[in-house]
Amino acid sequence: MLYIGGMNKNLNVPDQIWVGKKEYSFRVDNKVNGWLCWAALISGASDLVFIRQIAHLPVAWRCLIALAPFLAILLWARNLARWIRGMDELHQRIIMATILFTVSATFFCVLLWQRLDKAGFFQAVFPSSVNPSAVWDIGTVGSVFVLLLVFYIIGHFIFNRRYK
Amino acid sequence: MKNRLRELRMVKAWSQSDLADKLGVSRQTVNAVETEKYDPSLPLAFKVARLFKLRIEEIFNDNGKP
Repeated sequence: MLYIGGMNKNLNVPDQIWVGKKEYSFRVDNKVNGWLCWAALISGASDLVFIRQIAHLPVAWRCLIALAPFLAILLWARNLARWIRGMDELHQRIIMATILFTVSATFFCVLLWQRLDKAGFFQAVFPSSVNPSAVWDIGTVGSVFVLLLVFYIIGHFIFNRRYK
Repeated sequence: MKNRLRELRMVKAWSQSDLADKLGVSRQTVNAVETEKYDPSLPLAFKVARLFKLRIEEIFNDNGKP
């Protein structure tokens, strides 16, 4: 027997984490992206702690607080890799292209924003009350999370359409 | 790459979903291969050939590209 009937019922598909799609599954979405949400929450919490001035703590503690989200990010990456391995070859290709686009675009935006900020672009163009670099700290996990989400939606639309 | 997947599937009176089930891939993959938007991997091409009891070159044709 070459195949097992109904084998592809167990295949992972990108639409499983796409809210509003027929195949959307909260359970799968939570399994894949749960740790990313935790990373954003932990990052936000550690940023709040930093805002409360903890400079008096030993450097090891400060580093631990600063790096806490990265453990969650590593666990997220592991779950994401497992989810992708459960896809068929076409969806693997689509999702890998989407992820490459998402990460590259996010990396580009973060670098661009920081370079423009260092060059004083925002201070020169915007009045101090609406200075975007003062309002939005792009270096936080939460900000990167938002960028990843936006570019994932754009990338998935582009690469999925190619094979529709 | 040209292929006869749709024609062979029609002969068997299978839907795209049926074929996808038999190959262990999604229906979107079968559709993308049939419409020649996606060239299958070698393992998938072998699966298709075994399923239809044909040789790979009898199903897929690259027009003699090197």
